[in-house]
Amino acid sequence: CSEEDSDEEEEDDEAAVKEEIDSEEEEEEEGEEEDAGALRWKQDLQQKASAAFLRQQESAPNLRKLVYGSAAGAGDSDEEEGEELGGLFRVSRPQKSKRFTANSVDCSRFAADSAHNWDLEEMMNSIRDCFVTGKWEEGQDAA
Amino acid sequence: MASHGLVYDGCNFFRQRLVLSTLSGKRVKIKNVRSREEDPGLRDFEASFIRLLDKVTNGSRIEINQTGTVLFYQPGLLYGGSVEHDCSTQRSIGYYLEALLMLAPFMKTSLKATLRGVTNDSTDPTVDLLKTTALPLMKKFGIDGEGIDLKVVKRGMAPGGGGEVVFTCPVRRTIRPVQLTDPGKIKRIRGVAYSVRVSPQMANRIVDSARAVLNQFLPDIYIYTDHMKGANSGKSPGFGLTLVAETLNGSFFSAEMSSTPQGQGDPVLPEDLGRNCAKLLLEEVHRGGCVDSSNQSLALLLMTLGQQDVSKVLLGPLSPYTIEFLRHIRDFFQIMFKIEVQKPLEDERKGGDKVLMTCVGVGYSNLNKTLK
Repeated sequence: CSEEDSDEEEEDDEAAVKEEIDSEEEEEEEGEEEDAGALRWKQDLQQKASAAFLRQQESAPNLRKLVYGSAAGAGDSDEEEGEELGGLFRVSRPQKSKRFTANSVDCSRFAADSAHNWDLEEMMNSIRDCFVTGKWEEGQDAA
Repeated sequence: MASHGLVYDGCNFFRQRLVLSTLSGKRVKIKNVRSREEDPGLRDFEASFIRLLDKVTNGSRIEINQTGTVLFYQPGLLYGGSVEHDCSTQRSIGYYLEALLMLAPFMKTSLKATLRGVTNDSTDPTVDLLKTTALPLMKKFGIDGEGIDLKVVKRGMAPGGGGEVVFTCPVRRTIRPVQLTDPGKIKRIRGVAYSVRVSPQMANRIVDSARAVLNQFLPDIYIYTDHMKGANSGKSPGFGLTLVAETLNGSFFSAEMSSTPQGQGDPVLPEDLGRNCAKLLLEEVHRGGCVDSSNQSLALLLMTLGQQDVSKVLLGPLSPYTIEFLRHIRDFFQIMFKIEVQKPLEDERKGGDKVLMTCVGVGYSNLNKTLK
């Protein structure tokens, strides 16, 4: 009985060490020698750093460019449309893309993101700390 | 086109353009207003808006072509004073009030506007919402005192209308720059459940279902029921709910919903309305920031017109309306904001990404205001 226990403990330890390594370098393959993996995380550091940097660049869009940059394109008129019928009449169709936004309803309301389902516990938990009943930061107090 | 000032296409963002034109004194020309639709030109509610603008200004020149597809506007001086206006029932009073809120602090004499029409509908921010969110926001910019008030005298639901509100606002020579970067935590939730020309029980049913959702977060919730009767209840039946969450630092998040107008669309149950409105409030909390999504543009305008000092405001995600407003501010005032995204920390449970808006005010001073 005692032998089994110790065995289990050893296994647990091993698993714990592996988990640590796994978390440190995510692309680590499973079932490796531990001592070899110990210094693995130091490899390709530069590459990883640049990858992380690029990832962050992509995820944080340049809002200034989005807001002020694209406005120039909106001024271009795409008036050109034309099948002529019998060389006389021009088919007039309400244009989908630009005309639609230019003449759509002038309303300041910001429609809610339909992807959020507020029945889910997970979603509710994402805003818990916005309330006084949530967790407080260090150095702040409910008083 | 220098003689015509700024030129825009289409009737979207109509109010923004006219309001900014009035404040900056730049002429504006709007063409191709619904020029390709079967019913071209300006609608009644837009004409009504122009008339209101004409009432609060002195010496404005407005030219509209025969089909109503081209509008030329040369702004006059903002005069203010006592104004009465019958708003078109196509849009609610909120549509007109949003513009008046932006103009009122810069008038010659303080404004007292009596607006009649639809007080609550589902398209525009309602009068109740503007009262509980926009007015506290303006107070942060130094537009405060006894004079600023918005009172619902009569409630009128769409489509009939028949409501009446009184809006008063003092004038200011300059606007105070603000630093609103930390909203603080939400300490309480208040609300108004209103009903007119239906059973007063409707409001209670709304309150119960909204509380059921919100009580999972906070115990301090109080939703008033407001049942107006007789002459104060307007011409159409309806009910609705406005919820406001107040934070420790005095920021307000709001959400609202109202019943579908009589004879249009599927009827809604008050229970569903209460529950959905509560979820909308959670969505607004998730967006976060120091200013709620319907008042973003008001905050940005007051920042722009502030004294020549740095203003900072933390906002939730920018709404499409706000993004267009930023472009218009650049057109009229040559101010570009510094826009920084703030990502929440790993273990923080405070909703989505926030946006920090920074600008230096243009040092606008209200030359219309009389010296005493």
